[in-house]
Amino acid sequence: MATAKNVRHHVVIGSGVAGSQAAETLRECEPDARVTILTLSSLLFYNRYDLPKVFRGHRDWREFLAYPAEYYRERRIGMRRCSRVAGVDAKRRAILLDHKEEIRFDTLLVASGGRGYVPEELSEFRPLMHPFSSYTEAMVAANEVPDRGHVIMLGGDMIGLDLARTLLDTRHRVTLVAGPQTFWPHEVGADERPGLVAALEKMGIEVVEGADAGGIASIEKGARGLSSRRVLFKDGTELYGDVVMPFFGLVPSVEFMLGSGVDIERGLLVNPALRTTNEGIYAAGDVCQIWSDAERRYRFYYGWKNVRAMGDLAARNIAGGADPWVPAQDETLHVTADGNIQSPFWEYE
Amino acid sequence: MATDIQISIVGSAGDGTIAAGEILRGALAGMGYKVISFDVYPPEIRGFGKCIARMRITTEQAYSLKHKSDVLVSLDDSHAIPHADEVRECGAVIYERGSIVQLPEGGHMSAHIGPGQLPYPVPIRELSEKSTGANRSRNIVVLGFLAGLLKLPAEAFQKAIAKKFKRKAAAAEAGEAAFRAGQDFAAQTFKLDDVLFGPPVSTVVAGATVEMISGNAAIVRGALDAGIDTFFGYPITPATSIMERLATEMPKRGGRLLQTEDEIAAISAVVGAGFAGARAATSTSGPGLSLMAEMLGMGVIGEVPSVVFVSQRGGPSTGMPTKTEQSDLHMAVYGGHGDAPRIVIAPTNVDGCYRCGGKAFEMAEAYQTPVIVLIDLYLSNRYETVVFPSRPPFEADTNRKPGKLAAGAQYKRFALTADHISPRAIPGEKGNMHVVTGLEHNELGRPNDSAEMHEAMSRKRHEKLKAALRHPDFTHFKRFGDEGPVDVGVISWGSTFGECLEAMIKARGEGIRCAAMKVVMLSPFPTHGVTAFMTDCKQVLVPELNYQGQFANLLQANVARPVTRLNRVSGEPMKVEDILDEIRRLAGRKAAQKAA
Repeated sequence: MATAKNVRHHVVIGSGVAGSQAAETLRECEPDARVTILTLSSLLFYNRYDLPKVFRGHRDWREFLAYPAEYYRERRIGMRRCSRVAGVDAKRRAILLDHKEEIRFDTLLVASGGRGYVPEELSEFRPLMHPFSSYTEAMVAANEVPDRGHVIMLGGDMIGLDLARTLLDTRHRVTLVAGPQTFWPHEVGADERPGLVAALEKMGIEVVEGADAGGIASIEKGARGLSSRRVLFKDGTELYGDVVMPFFGLVPSVEFMLGSGVDIERGLLVNPALRTTNEGIYAAGDVCQIWSDAERRYRFYYGWKNVRAMGDLAARNIAGGADPWVPAQDETLHVTADGNIQSPFWEYE
Repeated sequence: MATDIQISIVGSAGDGTIAAGEILRGALAGMGYKVISFDVYPPEIRGFGKCIARMRITTEQAYSLKHKSDVLVSLDDSHAIPHADEVRECGAVIYERGSIVQLPEGGHMSAHIGPGQLPYPVPIRELSEKSTGANRSRNIVVLGFLAGLLKLPAEAFQKAIAKKFKRKAAAAEAGEAAFRAGQDFAAQTFKLDDVLFGPPVSTVVAGATVEMISGNAAIVRGALDAGIDTFFGYPITPATSIMERLATEMPKRGGRLLQTEDEIAAISAVVGAGFAGARAATSTSGPGLSLMAEMLGMGVIGEVPSVVFVSQRGGPSTGMPTKTEQSDLHMAVYGGHGDAPRIVIAPTNVDGCYRCGGKAFEMAEAYQTPVIVLIDLYLSNRYETVVFPSRPPFEADTNRKPGKLAAGAQYKRFALTADHISPRAIPGEKGNMHVVTGLEHNELGRPNDSAEMHEAMSRKRHEKLKAALRHPDFTHFKRFGDEGPVDVGVISWGSTFGECLEAMIKARGEGIRCAAMKVVMLSPFPTHGVTAFMTDCKQVLVPELNYQGQFANLLQANVARPVTRLNRVSGEPMKVEDILDEIRRLAGRKAAQKAA
């Protein structure tokens, strides 16, 4: 045992929906256990789905917190913020943090989520783009976009399209440079796509189709007196906007698990009970690929409801359960009768 | 917007913690904020102990440090971790992001930041090394980060850094670079906390000057403004800096200062100089005061003006040299053999140090007796912004000079007069030759141990001090808060009074009828004024930093009324919250009301 006699130490890496739900469930299942969340974030758990609110004038970080500080104190959930995990030694049941502190655990739940993906050919332009996956990034972007400003959205995954709805609602202009990741994580057939793009245009989004990521030659700072960003396409056309925001889907944050002895494909591979190939290590949320007997493959499940259910299930199984994963939400992208897009990935409580 | 921000910098001896605090408070005071600051440092010279530079920055007048800090800066997690819970909700914790050694679980500050606090990890060491080539400027890096995070103007800091390193060009240059590195890092850091500075408010009247100054420095300033011309002393923490400062300043003004072989020699020389007509003083702490007891008696019986600045520390014996305590009150008021009354005054803040530092000389001369100015480490090392008047508020000469003697009359150095104060001649004055001795004496100063003479002279030595209770332009005691009858009255002295005043203000804010009284003149005791105050109070609370309740004892010896004692001997200043809790309890407030 790594911790005090007879007290198990459950460590959760990640303070998003899955990690926070898991910590809560672990506390309920094991009132005497030690529960610690490690997170890179400087804030307590906030709902990423709420971030578009920054464009509605909600700027104070307190408004985004899912729970007050008291929640963590009452539940005795240790919250280690600004803590980057450098590596995990599954054999020794030890986590090494970037600042050279070692934390021992009895069980580990990896719920580190995913970070915004940017295609290799655009990675050199990262400093000129405004990602939108954290509160800080959202605030930086919101501070850059003037009233009724113009947002150039690259890719157009469902997180981005959710933001686009808010931007349009707040009288901003949105131009979508569509590509293969548009509508991610929905898998959209070629026959469905024109109708969905038409629905986007009906919403008020200006869609530049065909100029996919490979079609962008460069992103530059705009000239003085003009918009602050210029996107140059290989065909010589150009777009001016106030910010360029990448929405190409997520890649699982698993680097720190390399060498841990746990199997990794794109995400951490887990069985239907959400256990990795190491018996003391579980995974939940956007970071894991769950074995699907029906599909005979490991696959990701996205969406707030799915992720929360994964956190809950992993915690219950850590506490001794053996329940299998059952998806908690529909994954179908709909166009409503009045022609609007409706995604289950936009739903959260 | 009113500013009320407390910043604590915690590190190890050698980290430059105190220097960082000095630069920070200098910069903020220079910007026009009011600053109260108190540094804690270890008795060891370097390498082990904990150092804390803690300061409260305000636009309105504040009287003490706050219980909770708004910002904690860690220069050494092993020392700063125990202070993490002293940061308020939504307060910021700034700490070293990395570590150069393997840490056990819990060995890093990030493990101790509460869910309500805001973490700011900064690569302090890396920034120092990159900007200066060494890690010695980590303290300045955090100042740069603070300035950037709190949006404070760099110029004020640059000025303070240049002043701090004015004789070390390389250090000044490194400091400048390290400051910029910290500031640049702050510019890239997203600001979450709500620690905000409003604009400073200037309340300085024309002609006055504002200075950021410590209690000991204020004592020195007061003494110099009052015309001190002779000083003998022996170094002892926390009084040493009084002598050090005077050693720099007195020669410039034609004064004399000598470091004697010990405290006995120092007080003996001071009494000798006083006899010779000098405005003479010494400074010491509790152990030195014990050694001086015998010669203080000589000053009393010889009616020799002499001033002793005493800065108390934790005792008894060597005790806790770098911790504060108020446990030398009995020694100051009663210490020594025989009926040896003396004047004891105890300022309650840095401004008071200045005033008492000067007034002590007026009183010593006017009432021809030793005067002890009693402060403590908390006040000695506390920095405050003080407004100094354009003209020193001290009389240059308060000696009652002998008039022209009638033909054939003999000068009586110890003449029994109506107000018990005798005309005092300075040795060497023509026709006023006299004798001063440690023996009981007659009016001429010649030995006389008759019952009548001892009674007369004892009465004289005691009764003359009553006039000190009316000494002009001096605050002997002062009442604050609600007028008329109150539920709780807080009476205190010395450095603890600031905390009492804050607690009283908070209690009034909670609807408790409350008042506070500071007593500066401890001997002779201003019984009349204190009695009037206590009569107004249903309950009387006496907070002080000693175990015995020495001031409460003094109070009850003079005013026969029960009091509630609140004593702390932690070596730290009294906590406002502790006093407030006691006020609430005495006022009959229940816990629920307190929480509300």
